[in-house]
Amino acid sequence: MDRTDATLRELFAVQPPAGLDRRLREALREEPRALDALIDRFHVEASERGIARLLYGRGRDVAAGRGRRHAEQARQELAEYLAGRRTFFTVPVDLAGIGEFQDRVLTEANRIPFGEVTSYADLARRIGHPRAARAVGNALGANPVPVIVPCHRVIRGDGSWGHYAFGGALKTRLLALERATPLLIGCASTRIVCRRGCAHEQRIGENGRVVFASVADAAGVGYRPCKVCKPRDAAA
Amino acid sequence: MDERTFERLAQEYSGRLYAVAYRMLGHRADAEDAVQRALLKCFAARASYSPRWAVSTWLYRAVANVCIDELRRRKVRGEQVDDVEATVRPAAVGQRLDLTRALETVPREARVLLALHYVDGLGYRELAAIRGISVNTVKSQLTRGKAILKKALQAGGHDGSD
Repeated sequence: MDRTDATLRELFAVQPPAGLDRRLREALREEPRALDALIDRFHVEASERGIARLLYGRGRDVAAGRGRRHAEQARQELAEYLAGRRTFFTVPVDLAGIGEFQDRVLTEANRIPFGEVTSYADLARRIGHPRAARAVGNALGANPVPVIVPCHRVIRGDGSWGHYAFGGALKTRLLALERATPLLIGCASTRIVCRRGCAHEQRIGENGRVVFASVADAAGVGYRPCKVCKPRDAAA
Repeated sequence: MDERTFERLAQEYSGRLYAVAYRMLGHRADAEDAVQRALLKCFAARASYSPRWAVSTWLYRAVANVCIDELRRRKVRGEQVDDVEATVRPAAVGQRLDLTRALETVPREARVLLALHYVDGLGYRELAAIRGISVNTVKSQLTRGKAILKKALQAGGHDGSD
């Protein structure tokens, strides 16, 4: 070790804050607040084209014919999402019957990256109606497929949550869940990087998972993007 | 691994995990949050811990994974973090401020390796196992990261040696 190394080691040293061990011990003893159990409170209405409505509370799935397959897929993807094992949905949605403005708002909302938030005003700007923040809020409030089209990632400009069809408490929990769920996972043995939730990613063993901040970072240390889930930095 | 053993390990490594997280994130509260989240993940997955792995490799990978994902979110939000530990000796504050700022100029993959290497003196093989990369990649990333860090420290008035 040369002199620079010795100096850097000294510079890198950090005094841990007082009470760190006690706080960590307490955190380990807290009951984990998993969202998995909430899956039974979600219900879907599916048409042949895809999921037409997602409801929260008492009820049951409504689907017929090919719609049943969509309903089953939605239920499985939702369960994985709530368990922190999925960061994107592939189940088709059926937004037939909604107006053009709402369609543009929901399409734009669907582009908000997993784990991120944006404001109503920003979303209004992105669809070319910078003064229509309130109308954007109304369009999101009438989102027929919350969670799948992530209207919970839109908040007020002052940082408060704003209205959420399934309640502010659930919005808080969904955003916290997304904050605790990594997006890009590399497999240490295959050196392939996937989006969390890809079928290939789900086969990676617990001890072979490496998180990356971008596809470019992963490529820089010898990982290639998955050809199935096609992670892109734009999606990150 | 039983609960008691895990708690003992968590206590043994908490300071070093915190130091790595702090050097990655440059922010005290975020570093503590990252250590807590990493330990909770390891605690939940303790049944799958394989003794073939060194405990340090397992824990450091978990904390590196959490920190890297936090940096991803920051990149999207375009946040800059400016927080310097209040507990350091006054004479060293300038240097440590330089280091915190200088580390922000180092690419993330190199930064995580520098933090692990200089906080706990981990060797190339263990660094490779923690990040799931080859030993040669570890060496090249460390060399690159160190060069960027030295340059940034020199630009900040610190020569990177003594």
